[in-house]
Amino acid sequence: MNSSILRQLKKVAGKDAVLDRLEDRRLYEYDGGIDRSVPGAVVFGLNAEQISRVMRFANANKIPVVPRGAGTGLSGGAIAEKEAIVLSTARMNKILEIDIPNQRAVVQPGVVNLELSNATVKYGFYYAPDPSSQKACTIGGNVAENSGGPHTLALGVTVNHVTGLEVVLPNGRIVELGGKTQDCCGLDLTGFFVGSEGTLGVTTEITVRLTKLPEAVATLLAIYDTVEDAANTVVAITQSGITPAALEMLDGWLLRAVEAAVHAGYPEDAAGVLLIELEGMKEVVKEQAEAVRAVCMQQKARDVKRAKDEAQRQALWLGRKTAFGAVGRVSPSYYTQDGVIPRTKVPATLAEIGRISQKYGLQIGNVFHAGDGNLHPLILFDARDPKQTADSRKASHEIMDFVLKLGGSITGEHGVGSEKIDLMPFMFTEDDLNTMVRLRNVFNPDSLLNPHKIIPETRMCREITGPLPKAKVEPVQGVPV
Amino acid sequence: MTTLAIPTSLDRDLAAIVGDTHVTQDHTEINGITPALSVSPASPEEIAAILRLANERDLVVAPSGEFTRQQVGGIPERIDVLLRTERLNQIRNYDPGDLTVSVGAGIRLADVQSALGEHQQWLPYDPPHQKTASIGGLLATAAFGPLKSGFGGLRDFCIGIQFVSGEGTIAKGGGRVVKNVAGYDLMKLMIGSYGSLAVITGANFKVFPRPRQTRTFVCSLSSLKDAIAFRNQVLRSPLTPICVELVSSRALEYLCDPPVAHDPGEYVPTKPVSAPSTEWQLAVRVSGSDNVLARCRKELGSPVVRELEGDSESEFWSWVSQFEFSVLDRHRNAMIVYAHSTIQNVEAVAQALERSALDYNFFPAMLGRVATGNLVLAFLPLPVDPPAAMQYANCASAFRALLPAGCSAMVTQCPKEAKAYFDVWGSTPTDIELMRGVKRALDPKKILNRGRFIV
Repeated sequence: MNSSILRQLKKVAGKDAVLDRLEDRRLYEYDGGIDRSVPGAVVFGLNAEQISRVMRFANANKIPVVPRGAGTGLSGGAIAEKEAIVLSTARMNKILEIDIPNQRAVVQPGVVNLELSNATVKYGFYYAPDPSSQKACTIGGNVAENSGGPHTLALGVTVNHVTGLEVVLPNGRIVELGGKTQDCCGLDLTGFFVGSEGTLGVTTEITVRLTKLPEAVATLLAIYDTVEDAANTVVAITQSGITPAALEMLDGWLLRAVEAAVHAGYPEDAAGVLLIELEGMKEVVKEQAEAVRAVCMQQKARDVKRAKDEAQRQALWLGRKTAFGAVGRVSPSYYTQDGVIPRTKVPATLAEIGRISQKYGLQIGNVFHAGDGNLHPLILFDARDPKQTADSRKASHEIMDFVLKLGGSITGEHGVGSEKIDLMPFMFTEDDLNTMVRLRNVFNPDSLLNPHKIIPETRMCREITGPLPKAKVEPVQGVPV
Repeated sequence: MTTLAIPTSLDRDLAAIVGDTHVTQDHTEINGITPALSVSPASPEEIAAILRLANERDLVVAPSGEFTRQQVGGIPERIDVLLRTERLNQIRNYDPGDLTVSVGAGIRLADVQSALGEHQQWLPYDPPHQKTASIGGLLATAAFGPLKSGFGGLRDFCIGIQFVSGEGTIAKGGGRVVKNVAGYDLMKLMIGSYGSLAVITGANFKVFPRPRQTRTFVCSLSSLKDAIAFRNQVLRSPLTPICVELVSSRALEYLCDPPVAHDPGEYVPTKPVSAPSTEWQLAVRVSGSDNVLARCRKELGSPVVRELEGDSESEFWSWVSQFEFSVLDRHRNAMIVYAHSTIQNVEAVAQALERSALDYNFFPAMLGRVATGNLVLAFLPLPVDPPAAMQYANCASAFRALLPAGCSAMVTQCPKEAKAYFDVWGSTPTDIELMRGVKRALDPKKILNRGRFIV
């Protein structure tokens, strides 16, 4: 980025809000995904007015801007090309209002997801969407990605919990979308904005719903001797009329990797486990826990254990939420997917993944949000071996082919970003994509905000990933994780 | 009102797209406007052809389902083609094991529910006219019912949508799986767009296991203040009701079949006049086992005056859902307002209704989903002194002026003569310029529902 532009940018954004030295910019070359690119400059957003000035400046000089939260995204959404400005909302980290009687909170985009639950738990409320990176990821980033998490099975993803936004558009205009009320008159642009992956505007204020803490929680660990039995249980639970708060599955290989890393209390000799959580009134939880246990045993579970206390429960969840990190310990590189399949197809898909794993001689670990059919197969390989690298890519494509054949989706919660952009034509027609481009142009006419994301312009190939960013916030007692 | 002269070849051209038998003269009136022609296409391709024709000839098209909410909104500029989705009435895919269903826009909600019911599943969705309303119409108008308290609205369970945009492009958003972030969320854009952006041709939903047992506890409170305090107590309790409905005493008169409403204009000098009732009811519906119901009974305590179950329970909730139309059946000239407020502003909205209605010679009645703040308000006219058109406009403005900041109030029903004098949609916190941009992007020539919606 040339020095005159940088000088002007510092004047517009504030001197302390701009990073331009290479060593500083390097910290912003990656996110949780696989792409790397050092941006031209990093600007810290401080408030809507300052962001508006930066956007007007960038717009006038045709400089691309890429919004960024904590950089935990898994699809390259926060990666900027070398002439672009990364606009970080990390310093806008204030909880502006906690309004318990109306079950709302108003936050700045840089507030860390778990921090909001930590701040509201004393009133008996929490913020329900719980991505595995919730100790680090920001609510602004969650809004951009429409993030999910294990507990979204019963409670919904980010879009079901956001009622209002303040947004700065690429032309610098500051707009309101929605507010504190559940609904309002006119088009639901709030809902449309959530999940737009930073291509429509930069959020500067977010109004979210807070959820009442459940009276009781039961966390069950169902242990299986075959993966098929575990997969069949998922289908059987769904059909039993019970919607657990969370229904997660880890296969044997993965739970051994997790056990080696964090000692969550998973049985190392099992072929697979289901982590099932039930919550609500204590009568409901008691009945459902019994019913679910019966379904598991019917589906040939070896054993069903119930977390005896909060510490055991936290340990079980720690295992699930650090699964990706645990894999990082045992394999030089891995590639994960985020496909979603109809729930009845979980057994068939697992069998297919097993077949693909054997075909290429690559270990594939499976950790699923099984309850809603959201797969995260982890393909392990050594990036230094060109054959393995090529095979991992082929295996990945074969899995995705299978997902698409079942009428599934290429991404359940990680977003398209740049990583899955070349898969979009497999789900959407040219006309579908053109319609999306037209709508993007309403907000972002020159595609200067987060260009080359979501909607394909060129073909790209991607692989290799690294460890997740370190946790910034520790959970406090009583906050659901 | 008149309709514009149509080029004589139009019916021929439309017939070439959909076949002779599917182009008719329809005399259904929409806010005083009679469509010139009515056409029933059988596929998205036919709809695209119709819309392209409309773009070429600058014809105004009104998409329509089963006419349950067609009168909502402003007066259409004109309607050259009424586009009916009634032939898109298939269940295209339903796998009970996956708990997802995908249907054509023209299918009736009741038909979807009965297919789901065979597998003890349902859409937890009970808008007005649930027996006749079409899925497309319900999506377009973002209709909702009492179950919104516990399950959210269409935006929470519509997982995919198919449509033909105003300029005639067949497109879709979302998919058939319950979790999906690929591409923009076009479901949210279409839900509540009142047919102003596109013609919805189909949608996919996640469905839910039907509760095996529900019970409704009707609680009686002696004032609005007490009712709100009790509502707060319910919201703070561990209970997880599927409906939390506040009903004013006058609204209660419409929750039966036929309504036994006291005619507001009834005046019998010899009859002793009793003071108006100040009773408010809070109806709390819960699902669960006998143990769960027993716990609810205990937690709710002494305000419970009635328990409803079985047929009488479902009948009660269908009356609640149908409230606004029961009012309109009895008072053709009533004004119905949907108010969206925060949870704690419900009381202020009720007070605003009371004050503005009485100031303008209406009687107030209201009910609503008070766990979420979605309220249905009725302004009942006095037959002895029928309101003038301007009176609706003045009353609506007075009501809106009394609302706390952040609330929005749209007038969903009022005499069409009154609509000329005010904006039925009212204000919204959401940026209007962006809404207009979205309209231009999908329907640049404004051929869809011109004059009806906010954009």
